[in-house]
Amino acid sequence: MATIAVRLRVGVRHRSMAFLVAIGLASAAAAPPAHPSDPPRSAPDFETQVIPVLTRAGCNSGACHGAAIGRGGFRLSLLGYDPSFDFDSVVNEFEGRRVNAVHPEKSLVLRKPSLDIDHQGGLRLPSAELGFQVVRDWIAAGMPRSGQRKLERVEVTPPSIVLPRVGDQFSIRVTAYFREGDRIVPDDVTRWAVMSASDPAAATVGTDGNISALRRGQIPVLVRFLSEVSAVTVTVPIGDSPGTPTARPVSNFIDEHVNRTLDELRLPQSPRASDIAFARRAFLDLIGALPTPTEVESFVLDTRDDRRARLIEHLICRPEFVDLWSYKWGDWLRIESRRLQPEGAAAFHHWVRDCVQRNTPVDAMIRDLLAASGDAHQVGAANFHRVASDARTEAENVSRLFLGVRLQCANCHNHPLDRWTQDDYHGLAAVFANIDRGRNVRRLARGEVIHPKTGQAAAPKIPGGAFLTQVSGKPAPAKESGATVATAELPGDAAIEPSLGADRSDRLNADPLKDLSEWLTSPDNPFVARAFVNRVWRELMGRGLVEPVDDHRASNPATHPELLQALTLDFASHGFDMRHLIRSIVSSEAYQRSSTSTPGNADDDRFYSKYLVRPLPPHVLVDAVSKVTGVPERFEGITSGTTASALGDSRIPSEALDLLGRCARDTECIATAASGGSLPLTLHTINGAWLNAKISDPAGLVGRKLGTGESVKEFIAECYWLALCRAPTPSELDHWLDPLAAGGPERRRDVGQDFLWALLNCTEFCCNH
Amino acid sequence: MVRCDGVNRREFLRVGALSALNLGIADALRRRSLADGGNRLRNCILLWLDGGPSHLDTFDLKPDAPVEVRGDFKPAQTSVPGIQVCEHFRRLSGMMDRVCLVRSMTSELGEHNFGRHYLLTGYKPTPVLAYPSYGSVVAHVRHDLASPAALPSYVAVPQFSEEAANGYLPGSTRPFAVGGDPSRPDFRVRDLNMPDAMDADRLERRRQFLADFDRLSDQVEKNAISQNRDAHFEQAYRLIFSPEAKRAFDLGLENSAVRQQYGPHRIGQSCLLARRLVEAGCPFVTVTDNGWDTHGQIYRELKEGFVGGYAGRIPLLDQALSALLDDLTVRGLLDETLVLVMGEFGRTPKLNTAAGRDHWPRVFSVLLAGGGVRGGQVIGASDSRGESPAERPVTPTDLARTVYTLLGIEPNQEFHTSDGRPVKVSPGGQVITECIG
Repeated sequence: MATIAVRLRVGVRHRSMAFLVAIGLASAAAAPPAHPSDPPRSAPDFETQVIPVLTRAGCNSGACHGAAIGRGGFRLSLLGYDPSFDFDSVVNEFEGRRVNAVHPEKSLVLRKPSLDIDHQGGLRLPSAELGFQVVRDWIAAGMPRSGQRKLERVEVTPPSIVLPRVGDQFSIRVTAYFREGDRIVPDDVTRWAVMSASDPAAATVGTDGNISALRRGQIPVLVRFLSEVSAVTVTVPIGDSPGTPTARPVSNFIDEHVNRTLDELRLPQSPRASDIAFARRAFLDLIGALPTPTEVESFVLDTRDDRRARLIEHLICRPEFVDLWSYKWGDWLRIESRRLQPEGAAAFHHWVRDCVQRNTPVDAMIRDLLAASGDAHQVGAANFHRVASDARTEAENVSRLFLGVRLQCANCHNHPLDRWTQDDYHGLAAVFANIDRGRNVRRLARGEVIHPKTGQAAAPKIPGGAFLTQVSGKPAPAKESGATVATAELPGDAAIEPSLGADRSDRLNADPLKDLSEWLTSPDNPFVARAFVNRVWRELMGRGLVEPVDDHRASNPATHPELLQALTLDFASHGFDMRHLIRSIVSSEAYQRSSTSTPGNADDDRFYSKYLVRPLPPHVLVDAVSKVTGVPERFEGITSGTTASALGDSRIPSEALDLLGRCARDTECIATAASGGSLPLTLHTINGAWLNAKISDPAGLVGRKLGTGESVKEFIAECYWLALCRAPTPSELDHWLDPLAAGGPERRRDVGQDFLWALLNCTEFCCNH
Repeated sequence: MVRCDGVNRREFLRVGALSALNLGIADALRRRSLADGGNRLRNCILLWLDGGPSHLDTFDLKPDAPVEVRGDFKPAQTSVPGIQVCEHFRRLSGMMDRVCLVRSMTSELGEHNFGRHYLLTGYKPTPVLAYPSYGSVVAHVRHDLASPAALPSYVAVPQFSEEAANGYLPGSTRPFAVGGDPSRPDFRVRDLNMPDAMDADRLERRRQFLADFDRLSDQVEKNAISQNRDAHFEQAYRLIFSPEAKRAFDLGLENSAVRQQYGPHRIGQSCLLARRLVEAGCPFVTVTDNGWDTHGQIYRELKEGFVGGYAGRIPLLDQALSALLDDLTVRGLLDETLVLVMGEFGRTPKLNTAAGRDHWPRVFSVLLAGGGVRGGQVIGASDSRGESPAERPVTPTDLARTVYTLLGIEPNQEFHTSDGRPVKVSPGGQVITECIG
């Protein structure tokens, strides 16, 4: 009997324990069919037993009766989020003709999906199946709507699985814990859970929870039961080497996590990047500028063991670091003058620069942003409220940026893939309802957001937590009310939840905005830190641990959940210190690896077995081209000498930046991982003025060097050092010498320009690697 | 000299030679569309009248309404008995047999951005998702049917608004904006021509040098970014070296009588450029005409343009549109080219105090011609004061389903957003069946 090694990982608080269990394939496959295992009840429970049948059969999906307008006149709430509505639809609507208490199996809700009579949705609930019987028994029992049984939580075991080979199988088990009175009763609900691989080409999932791997790699399998969604990660090693992987270098805690995943996947890692490659990379990532040949030289000549740490420290303290990271903050906060006016954008940018310069803790920045008021042309942070056009947009901005969550699905219906409800969405919007977003940012005496379901003003609410007022529109009775702000919980990561979700019992302020700010920045709220570390990780590592960065949810698991948790904790316990976070990441071996693949890891784009190559951001590329050619970019109305990375406003005119695709900052900008320009940009690169003017400028590189009779060899070497931060190889030098040396001065000038043009378009220059 | 995934210079010559053999592109297209069977792919020229044209002063006049509603213009009989349009469509009124008017368009969105989004995508705007416009959907569906002339699949003349862009679809389906003013003598499509200091030899050298740099360096492996870049460079070189593409963009090559027929103005020459592009194989061109947001002095704006002017919006549109329809007919392109004329909404039935009309989405008109549309008919009607649809209300969603059907694109086809959400091209609405000939 073949046995497979199944690794069970149980995340408990900060620790995670891993142990190996050997399970016979046959016994796994022969797991007893799941069946409600608790003692027989008089009638199935509508909320926790009937609705799961409907969900499992697909009745309440968005494409069928769960659509906003229903289907064929029959409407259910999307994925059963509103049991009362569904009860009404099934039992009372249509003059009660959907159910037949006397002959339950003659009920319309059973005859149609079992195809006893014509059903456009086809066969959904065969009469021989258990689901049919559950619904029939419930109707036979008189269609009770007790609601006494409440779902507490769902546990999927094991939470992660390593399958050694493609084709191997394993069954997962889904257990729901129900509260019945004061008891918590577990129930095996595997056969009622909806399970699917996030990539159907990577794994199949049978109705009995049997997972079969079709591909190598890390495959999230989503499991939904009622409102709870969780993900099981199935790992099939990518590498083939059966023995222990080669020793993996460790610089800090990041590497321990990254290496563990590489071990699981049996992926070999690329060697450490050379000092020269590291220098170029660190300069571009940390300060957005190419190193000068002298800077590269002095780094390479440094023989001290800690030279990389020293370089990181040096770069983090450079003034250009403030430029670059303020630019990133500008993208995140969406600083642009069309909405904020040039004065507002300038004030906001100034505030950001000041924070980055002083290394203001990120939580303090958030408190400032939410609390600021006054003349937005003077008070930089006050512009934060003005970026949104209204309260709902502000709620979306805040949830994306600070919570890392896309709440907007919950505008119109409860989030189908997450726990967010319409109450959460409109409740968060209500927190921002009374803000005057004019130039003079202030709080108005009143303001409301209408909840589309009730038609009434929505009550301010912490997402996933407590309401902040008792009666909509009226402020909550102050602190003596005894109401509590919700415990912060991370729906996206069961592993993090217990460790950070310690109970809080803060009293409410009279001001919902202040409550929100306190909740967001409280030390045991993991959202802000988690969202922020993931953003910064993406900037430095080329891919978020969760992608997209503003879409943390249980059904979109991180590639390295424990690493994300560790980074979150480390960031929070180091006082939300951005420089500390950046230093930790770039000090890791994972960051410092070569970008060149090693046999076996060529296809890796998310496990950090090599540095991920990426295009230079538009502003960095513009600055790099200026630096290499020696012809600075001028921006209208901006002090000359200002680099593109130091610009504070995305509306400052620049054809080059527009064509390169800078973030206009009117929406969240999430650059696609594999960019590579556009047709207009390429045409402009070939024929347009930006690059051609810089190359042919008499005061530029070609004009200064070739014109003054510098030897061709030196010219070639200088170009390589300036643009690629390295010397040409002998074969490169050899290749270029002849074409560049031939002909008279005019031809040599033209060929020199063409050489420089090609250099500034080659992949090695345009990418960070 | 071949870049690994690309076309070499000989290839350009070969493409050029093909057309010299008189294998007209229009013929090639026709063959392709016939081969597609029932799902016949058609091209589209969209005339976007930005600002919202007044239905009451263009295609849906109310001569019997009170003076504050009916305004200055008189209805004129057209070549189709029973159909009247504004008297200032002097040329167009003679070709109503090729035109289908829908007079019962109705929407709830009376704000420009919302209206644009609704009319150009068929979807009401939502903060959750930006939907792709018609042109981007066409470019997405037809991305693998590369134009023989190396033309982009979606061209905007001269510019486009974000609502006319790609929404959630990939950036490769954004419109290629030609920029500038096609009626100016010095009009050139941006960056299509080499700068003065450059010539083909130097361009070829740069191309070669760039390939050399990438080949000689072992620092960066080939990856998705470099592949995208290479693809863009190949597309750009093809465009720059493609005589057909250059010709398609070059209005100077057009017969001067034809240029005059379209009129020496922006919308006229823009329509001519659109015709040249479609003829050369570009499946979707949007021509944007500004100035239809007539809140004041509507009759001067629409008739003279300015005090003492010779032509306002209507005569200019009349000349451009009639020339376009005639030209497409003469070239045998009308049946495979849908011409769609519309704006974001209509205008208030009652004239305001500034002698203008404000936004009015409740009822308005759109014009369709060619591309499988049955001409010589009016669909729907507004009520006696042009306030609401009186019969057969048609929503922008219905229109979208109709347009996609005419263009040979299955409305229920599913695309995916970047976060994997499936979205259908145009799931709602009903096809305006009587519109299709």
